[in-house]
Amino acid sequence: MRGLLSLFRRKPLSFPPFSFSPFSTSESKLKVFNRELKRTQRDRAAWLMPPNDPLLHTVAENLSDRLQDCKKNFPTALCLGGSLQAITSSLRGRGAIEKLIVMDASHDVVQACKNANHGLNNNGMETMYLVGDEEFLPIKESSVDLVISCLGLHWTNDLPGAMIQSRLALKPDGLFLAAILGGETLKELRIACTIAQMEREGGISPRVSPLAQVRDAGNLLTRAGFTLPGVDVDEYVVKYDSALELIEHLRAMGETNAHSQMNTILKRDAALATAAIYDSMFAEEDGTVPATFQVIYMTGWREHPSQQKAKRRGSATVSFTDIQKQFGSQN
Amino acid sequence: MVRVSNQLLQNARTLVSDFLVCPLSKQPLRYCEESNSLISDAIGVSFPVKNGVPCLIPKDGTILEDEDESKPDNDTNLSAVSEDNQGRSS
Repeated sequence: MRGLLSLFRRKPLSFPPFSFSPFSTSESKLKVFNRELKRTQRDRAAWLMPPNDPLLHTVAENLSDRLQDCKKNFPTALCLGGSLQAITSSLRGRGAIEKLIVMDASHDVVQACKNANHGLNNNGMETMYLVGDEEFLPIKESSVDLVISCLGLHWTNDLPGAMIQSRLALKPDGLFLAAILGGETLKELRIACTIAQMEREGGISPRVSPLAQVRDAGNLLTRAGFTLPGVDVDEYVVKYDSALELIEHLRAMGETNAHSQMNTILKRDAALATAAIYDSMFAEEDGTVPATFQVIYMTGWREHPSQQKAKRRGSATVSFTDIQKQFGSQN
Repeated sequence: MVRVSNQLLQNARTLVSDFLVCPLSKQPLRYCEESNSLISDAIGVSFPVKNGVPCLIPKDGTILEDEDESKPDNDTNLSAVSEDNQGRSS
């Protein structure tokens, strides 16, 4: 999908002239995504994004609705990346949030969100803005009650690290809520891109970003040390007039490919072939083309003595044989 | 207008003192009014504040020049960095 965009000339990225040695080991780690590129894409999305995107709005509503299932209040909340405007507007009045810290890697997105919320009645909710990177979370340990991320974390190279940092930022018994795009997302585009490239170029290169699978999400939560982990999946099918509109929408959401090793050249005929194949393989009777968005919702808590947990092994005082004697005859 | 900006400043101060730490060292930050930046004394790096929004991305930071030279960590930092830059530019 990124390839279609590279038809347009991009400004070369400038690297500030240093990096830090404490994290220089991270250079050698696997880098799946180009975070700098993602940041510029999100800068662009800040200007392209329509105020009420139905997909983002639905996901944000679904995510923040979960706060009302909790009896707990969340006086301080941290909102990480992703669709900021949708999530901040749906958080308003939910979960008794008093202080909301809004963070994103793109300054323009944060600024757009700040301008949009300026002058609105915030129900006494104090909102603070911050530009930061999920992989280097600049939040004090045990300082917030809720960390919420709406469609942002799937672009991190080090997802377990980002989640561990989120857990550390939470107070004990704090809640971590995240929505990420799952591996089934844009499966139609994946297929169309592959076929078009095979046909036109005789080989394939990754055009659609790799995404987490559902089974990974549970492992991630456990690995990051969250208690009472919960994962559920929702699939949204969005219909577009053509594949080109899909790309426009992805661009407006800042969700275009940011693979660190992607081929930045995509010829016009290959791009158009992709659109044509997409149309011929997946178009519906009414002429629209569907695109699947799989969203994985993750819930986890920071450990606290009040939470329910399994008893220690060997702590039982009643034998199973006795239980069977007592109740076995009833069957 | 003045009152609004005062309130913004107040917000920013509570944000810094209650929630923010340096993204790399996780040590406290100090607000410098002169340069309008947040300074992490632990690693000698300043992060800019643009339009009232602190920018705490590692790549946005700049190494402070007048930092204490005696810290061995800093020296290795800088030399490693310059090598890194050469590698990038070539």
